Amino acid sequence: MRVAHPVRPPVDANAALLEVTDLRVNYGGIAALKGVSLHVGKGEIVAMIGANGAGKTTTLKSIVGLLPVAHGSITYAGKSIVGMAVEDLVEAGISLVPEGRAIFPTLTVLENLELGAYVHRDKKTMRETLEDIVQLFPRLGERMKQEAGTLSGGEQQMLAISRSLMARPSLLLLDEPSLGIAPKLVQQIFVAIAQIAAAGVTILLVEQNTRVALRASHRAYVLRTGEIAKSGPSVELAADPEIQAAYLGG
Amino acid sequence: MKLIDALMTGLAQGGMIALVALGYTMVFGVLKMINFAHSEVFMMAAYVGLFVIAAVGGTAHPLLAAVGGTVVAMFACSLLGITIERIAYRPIRARTRGSKLARVTPLVTALAVSVLLQNLAQLLFTARYRPYPQLFQNTRPIIFVVAIAMMVFLELVVKKTWFGKAMRALSTNEEAARLMGVRTSRTIAMTFALGSSLAAVGAVLYCLDQSQAYPTMGFKIGTQAFVAAVLGGIGNIPGAMLGGLLIGIIGEMVKLTSYSGGVDVLVFVVLILVLLARPAGLLGTTRVEKV
Amino acid sequence: MAGRTWIRTIVLALLVAAVSLALDMKLADILTDGSLRQLLMLTACNVLVAVSLNVINGMAGQFSIGHAGFIGLGAYTAAVVASQLHVKLGSHAPTLAASFIVVPIALLAAAVVAGAFGFLLGLPSLRLKGDYLAIVTLGFAEIFRLLIATATVGVQDTPAQAWSAVRGPGTFFHALGVSITALGGQNGYAGPGDQGVPLYAGPFWILTIVTLMVVLAWRIKFSGWGRALRALREDEIASAAVGVDPTRYKVTSFVLAAVGAGVAGGLLAMMRDGTPSVQPDTFNFQASFDAITMVILGGSGSVTGAMLGGVFVTLSIKAIEYGQGSSFVQDLRRHAEWLDLNALRMILYSALLIALMILRPEGLLGERELFQKKRGAKAS
Repeated sequence: MRVAHPVRPPVDANAALLEVTDLRVNYGGIAALKGVSLHVGKGEIVAMIGANGAGKTTTLKSIVGLLPVAHGSITYAGKSIVGMAVEDLVEAGISLVPEGRAIFPTLTVLENLELGAYVHRDKKTMRETLEDIVQLFPRLGERMKQEAGTLSGGEQQMLAISRSLMARPSLLLLDEPSLGIAPKLVQQIFVAIAQIAAAGVTILLVEQNTRVALRASHRAYVLRTGEIAKSGPSVELAADPEIQAAYLGG
Repeated sequence: MKLIDALMTGLAQGGMIALVALGYTMVFGVLKMINFAHSEVFMMAAYVGLFVIAAVGGTAHPLLAAVGGTVVAMFACSLLGITIERIAYRPIRARTRGSKLARVTPLVTALAVSVLLQNLAQLLFTARYRPYPQLFQNTRPIIFVVAIAMMVFLELVVKKTWFGKAMRALSTNEEAARLMGVRTSRTIAMTFALGSSLAAVGAVLYCLDQSQAYPTMGFKIGTQAFVAAVLGGIGNIPGAMLGGLLIGIIGEMVKLTSYSGGVDVLVFVVLILVLLARPAGLLGTTRVEKV
Repeated sequence: MAGRTWIRTIVLALLVAAVSLALDMKLADILTDGSLRQLLMLTACNVLVAVSLNVINGMAGQFSIGHAGFIGLGAYTAAVVASQLHVKLGSHAPTLAASFIVVPIALLAAAVVAGAFGFLLGLPSLRLKGDYLAIVTLGFAEIFRLLIATATVGVQDTPAQAWSAVRGPGTFFHALGVSITALGGQNGYAGPGDQGVPLYAGPFWILTIVTLMVVLAWRIKFSGWGRALRALREDEIASAAVGVDPTRYKVTSFVLAAVGAGVAGGLLAMMRDGTPSVQPDTFNFQASFDAITMVILGGSGSVTGAMLGGVFVTLSIKAIEYGQGSSFVQDLRRHAEWLDLNALRMILYSALLIALMILRPEGLLGERELFQKKRGAKAS
């Protein structure tokens, strides 16, 4: 696997790759985030769980600059990234796989992947990453010339993740990768996520599927109405009776 | 024989209309607005072409004049297109995003830009009809070949270049395109430049054939081109080409009948019928994304 | 309270009627310059044009760029009906007494025809939004204008003969063609035998009817109906959920706007001191654009704003026409062929519109009204 970012390592390997402090975001006149703090260390898989509307997607969107930050700080590799445009953040090595995949349905699978490499446009890197992706998701390899809109939901999710990998990110943000996907494919996707992390990509993922998220991550944050309610190693959270009652169906 | 003749003329006309239609369709793709000013860019190109052709020496060097006129017109109109976007459209895009006026404001702005350019031409060049010199004996085949060449060129740009891919990505999903690192403003500006330069080629070709430039010429061709874009499915590039050719051929066929005013009326009738029966156009499909 | 409001309304109506009746009889003595009298009435008609377009573009949040089509339909209908009645009445010079027969019938016809087309155009508004709907309205206006301007049939029979010979679709379209051709094509319609359209509508008719329609528009805006329209514009799905039927409101607003424009067109066609003919090119895209300018300058959704816009645009058009015709400008133009004041006006208008769209897209007044506060206080 060569999907990790080859050219721009973090400035300080000891610091957290991503550090969010007291983040507040207003969305449509309502305080959607009321002071969220979290950090993601290099090489970690961190999950954010919580009910619908708890502010998970809002957190991700404000990290990548799609939503304006009202208060708080976000640092990436030791540098503040608040107020930076999403295009610049992609260039800096942060890549978001948005909720609902947002693939380009009228473009072919290959064209979708090529667009992922828009930030560097390096032929050699593209070729290598493509080879890795075909290994990671053999199903995509068979469908390169197909229009992306004809893929199944699970295949579209694979495409969306792969498209982000084409940019060679250091930090991959995944928004609900299991949403609306057949259980068998969810399994495959989370195996792939583990492989991606093993190749050196740091991962912050947001999930409503608590069981899968806690199993796949090192640490997790529980978000409740715009605030961090709990956090800790995923194994501990999975054993927490309160979490079990609220999110794991007892 | 008369029918074959009309068909050939129709193809040439249609190719030219398609070049203009492409500008409407590409801009609609990236901005989701009808750039009414596109027809005036076409008109301005006709004047630029005319002046350059006259400056080069016109009939003395027909090939040089035609190529020079076209190239300069393409360049000038790219600049004009970018300027329009920069001065008029970009500010309202930033301001009206998400507001209840988000639909009406671009429409009024585009109409106003169109009226402004048309009357500017009236002031700059007067309302006089200015004849183009007869550079070639038989312009129809030239028009058709150039139009086809331009479309092939466009197809390559759209399919093979990074700009083309970025433009298509932006047309389908702006946020996702930005998440890929696509620079929205730059891509939009380049789309205007490309669309305007295609219209410029169309304008010079049109004038070489129809031989006149005048300030209100944009309305007629602009309408036909717009209808062609809608007919093919607005936002759809092959659709605009198909629509252009169809409108060209239909127009020439109507001219064979006794009703001379028919072409203009028919164009609008086709427009309304398409919008009512199949707003997505012939090639446009409203795709439902799988969940 | 309700009784007193009624009395006030009736007194006001009588006052308007009396003043306009007095003007009707004495205006020629007060304003000896015919072009000034024309300007006054033209301004009133354009106020109606603006107020009616405001119903679609301002209140209902749809967008029509083909308002000239409705004005034209009304103008041609009224011109034809008035001319026919005029002949039936013996072709005497128009009198105020005779106008009480001719004007109501002609305007009613204009309103019905324009309203019917407004209904037809309102139907697509259910499926099409924004730009697309705008294009359909433009298409309609252009088809109307081009059909009249370019209609020619080889055969020389009168519309009456052609209609009585209708036996099927072929002869039907022939009769239709003959009828449209009888409207005079590019040269315009000037009554049967080119006698001129009889100009029955004096200040009395124009001022009372325009006042009536403006009051109606105001009432609509501040009624439950107007609130429903506003709700629809903000959020169609939510309004439908609380029982506002989008179909009815959208189509009706198109019909209302078309009726207003048709009546304005009818008044323009029969306007005393006006030109006794109706020309297709009066109703081109520039006319629609002028109407849009009137509404947007004043403020989309504001009745008084539209009125102000109507007055301003009309006055500036006429001022330009006057300036263009003056010997000073004529002299200048001999040296500078490019000096076209109307083009200059359009450049200024469009630049103004662009600036307005960037800086204040809701127009000068927005949805507010002049005098609204006073009224609001009384209503509560």
